[in-house]
Amino acid sequence: MRKSELASHFNPALFIPELKATDKEAVLKELLDLFVKEKHIRNSAIVLEMLHQREKLGSTGIGKGVAIPHGRTVAASDVLIAFGKSTAGVPFDAMDGKPVHLFFMVIAPPNDEGNVYLQILGSLMPILSDAENLQRMKAVREYNEFIEVIRGE
Amino acid sequence: MAMNDLERLVSLQDLDLMIQETDEVAKLGFNVTGYDELQKAREELANQISRPLLSRYERLRAKLKRAIVPVKNDICLGCFLRQPTSLAARGREDEEIFTCENCGRMLYWLD
Repeated sequence: MRKSELASHFNPALFIPELKATDKEAVLKELLDLFVKEKHIRNSAIVLEMLHQREKLGSTGIGKGVAIPHGRTVAASDVLIAFGKSTAGVPFDAMDGKPVHLFFMVIAPPNDEGNVYLQILGSLMPILSDAENLQRMKAVREYNEFIEVIRGE
Repeated sequence: MAMNDLERLVSLQDLDLMIQETDEVAKLGFNVTGYDELQKAREELANQISRPLLSRYERLRAKLKRAIVPVKNDICLGCFLRQPTSLAARGREDEEIFTCENCGRMLYWLD
């Protein structure tokens, strides 16, 4: 997936420049609340349950201060990504044991044309393994600054 | 969370999809060391669903891959057929489990 296409799946309404949450559960809820507020999801409890189960499979904290909680659910009709940043960092059982600053929540329906969901996860990984990108994202205050990093500008 | 039968089925399918895609997700670099724990969670959830309903779910899953699908704007997102207005009204409010008259999948109303 091209970076411009990946960028098209983000949305300024699903962007939190400074999360209030200070623990794992609260981060999941705060990001999920965005989907509910924007009427993308009606039953957040079902989606939260799915995210809890996903964390049982293994923490989605991939290290270097990044977490990508994700999953498919019958309670969603579109592939959606929310972004949230915590300057202080949140303990998230990450693979490297370090606090997480950058959160990408990816929610997808049971089936999506072209398997966009897995393509999004695959496209995020190289962007988020680049140290310069991570530094820039940790400093963003506005959506435009953030999406420039995703677009590789 | 206290779930009704429909919500348990939704969660069961969410789990089944997760289990199915474990290999793909692992190839992307995610940690999937809790696979056995996830299977256990699936078993525990399945045990909370009545046997006839679980059998119905498993039969549909074997035949159609996805046994339960979202409905948006009264359209079944399994086969894209519009649901009758009478069914749509009840599907939103009732805890009863309705099926698509066209594809036979169980329906979960999103709106």
